Amino acid sequence: MSLLAQQGARTDEAPIEARALVKRYRDLPAVDGVDLTVRAGDVYGFLGPNGAGKTTTLRMLLGLVRPDAGSIRVFGRDTAEDPIAALQGVAGFIEEPRLYPYLSGRENLELLAAFDRSGQGRAAVDEVLEMVELRDRGGDRVSEYSQGMRQRLGIASCLVRRPRLLLLDEPANGVDPAGLRYMRELLGRLSAEGITILLSSHLLAEVQQVCTRVAMISNGRIVYEGGMDELTRATGRRYRLEPTDFDRAAAVCGSLTAVDDVRAADGELSFRVDDDAGLVALVAGLAEAEVGIRALVPESDSLERVFFELTDEPVAVTA
Amino acid sequence: MIAGSLIAYRWELRKLTAQRRNWLGIAAAALVPVIFLVSIQISKVTIHPPDGPYDTPLGLNLRQTGLALDLVVLKLMGVIGPTLIAALVAGDIVAGEDMGGTLKTILVRSLRRGEVLAGKALALLTYLVAALAVYAVAGALTGVIAWGFHPLVNLSGRHLSALHALALTVAALALYALPVLAIASFGLFLSVVTRHSVAAIAGTLLYALALQGLGALSAIASLHPYLLVNQFTAWHDLFQTPTAGTAIVRCLWVSVAFALPPLLGAWAVFARRDVTT
Repeated sequence: MSLLAQQGARTDEAPIEARALVKRYRDLPAVDGVDLTVRAGDVYGFLGPNGAGKTTTLRMLLGLVRPDAGSIRVFGRDTAEDPIAALQGVAGFIEEPRLYPYLSGRENLELLAAFDRSGQGRAAVDEVLEMVELRDRGGDRVSEYSQGMRQRLGIASCLVRRPRLLLLDEPANGVDPAGLRYMRELLGRLSAEGITILLSSHLLAEVQQVCTRVAMISNGRIVYEGGMDELTRATGRRYRLEPTDFDRAAAVCGSLTAVDDVRAADGELSFRVDDDAGLVALVAGLAEAEVGIRALVPESDSLERVFFELTDEPVAVTA
Repeated sequence: MIAGSLIAYRWELRKLTAQRRNWLGIAAAALVPVIFLVSIQISKVTIHPPDGPYDTPLGLNLRQTGLALDLVVLKLMGVIGPTLIAALVAGDIVAGEDMGGTLKTILVRSLRRGEVLAGKALALLTYLVAALAVYAVAGALTGVIAWGFHPLVNLSGRHLSALHALALTVAALALYALPVLAIASFGLFLSVVTRHSVAAIAGTLLYALALQGLGALSAIASLHPYLLVNQFTAWHDLFQTPTAGTAIVRCLWVSVAFALPPLLGAWAVFARRDVTT
């Protein structure tokens, strides 16, 4: 806890302010005029299909790739002027955490702590190993770790730096359902401690569950940036209704202004409402028409629909 | 800069020692003089001085004093033996991390790229010096055990006391290390530029072979003293009476002249390049 409390120290400057970022490989623009603003305390989802420019953007944010144009300020400091100083409070990994397989997990963390010049000793390494539940396996070579353990060690390698900003690229890659749940809980804990998190992913469900703000990128361009709540409100909420009487239910749906975009399939109705009031009106209307409700459930792919609309790209819906 | 380079250096050494394949180079360095000694002992009935290995500088000392073993094998190894070990480690030291993805892991921490590269270069130097030291100790020990700790006849026909010969052997190895390190510098450069271990290792070996080829070209005979490949025999000067010193001084500056450009090139590329793997 003490470690995280120190990590969570805030400044007034935005953790990330990227403006008009451009990166071309040969003549192809991988990133084309990207603007990003990550605020302190955000769990910021960076969504996009494979090849959209997420990883290249993250590489630029972490100083691994030089932008062809544009600027990046991290906690107010321009990374082009002094990347080491600007990225002092930042940790993260790209694509997946890559560590030395022939060293133990503990040695990997000690190496990275030394490279941080943080003076963190064995205690800090023990603390983060404990946090990611790897303390008992810390002495084993990384080559003997499972994929999930490597992901957790990757998170530990970030935490040992005591970051204020975490940049994680596809942290759920190759992780089993239990690992996913653990990862979500850990990110929640880190966020609660005040660490700002930028989470890049192509998994909409993952982003929907943990992120407070989101940016969507397609073909190297940001097509949406804003709060997750605003996005949900803007797009409305879709529900699936399985009534006892299809025709009468369809008539009720059609008669209510609060219910729109009604679609029928296999004896079920799919529709959109803007808020709970619309849903209450529908239930009342069905009761009045003496239509029973076998099932009324929210559709999980509302964000996916938005994504399709904004990017015209196929994406994965579930982890 | 220095403190950061030393941090990187310390951990580069740990990484080198943690990989079994790097111990193979050290083991090979230890085995070469031992294998040579065994072959001499086995063939002593069929091969006699001044034939075969006895027909090399200081070769007539074989079987007369154990101190000759290191020096004769050093001459016979020529350029290729140490180049092979240098290429294997130098070619992989950056490219291996590039291909394994660990380069991006360490380059997002707080050491500057120049410090990371300096640590790698120092670790490479240490490894090659250690390999030569292991070679020298293994050769001296087995040689002395087999043939005794006796005076050595130098290239001018003078007798050198065993202790004097031992000191000159250490100096000879130090001198021999310089062109080896120059070739390793080129390997490091290729490791940075190619981002591929096999390409960098093969390129380093080809470089050494090309230098040897240049050394055989009579059209450029006037340049031969200034070719890197010719510095591998500069240590012969130490075993002349009187010691001329010309070849020794030339070995120093020629080796530095061949080492610096690839080192600076590696630094210039490494400091600015995109890490995309």
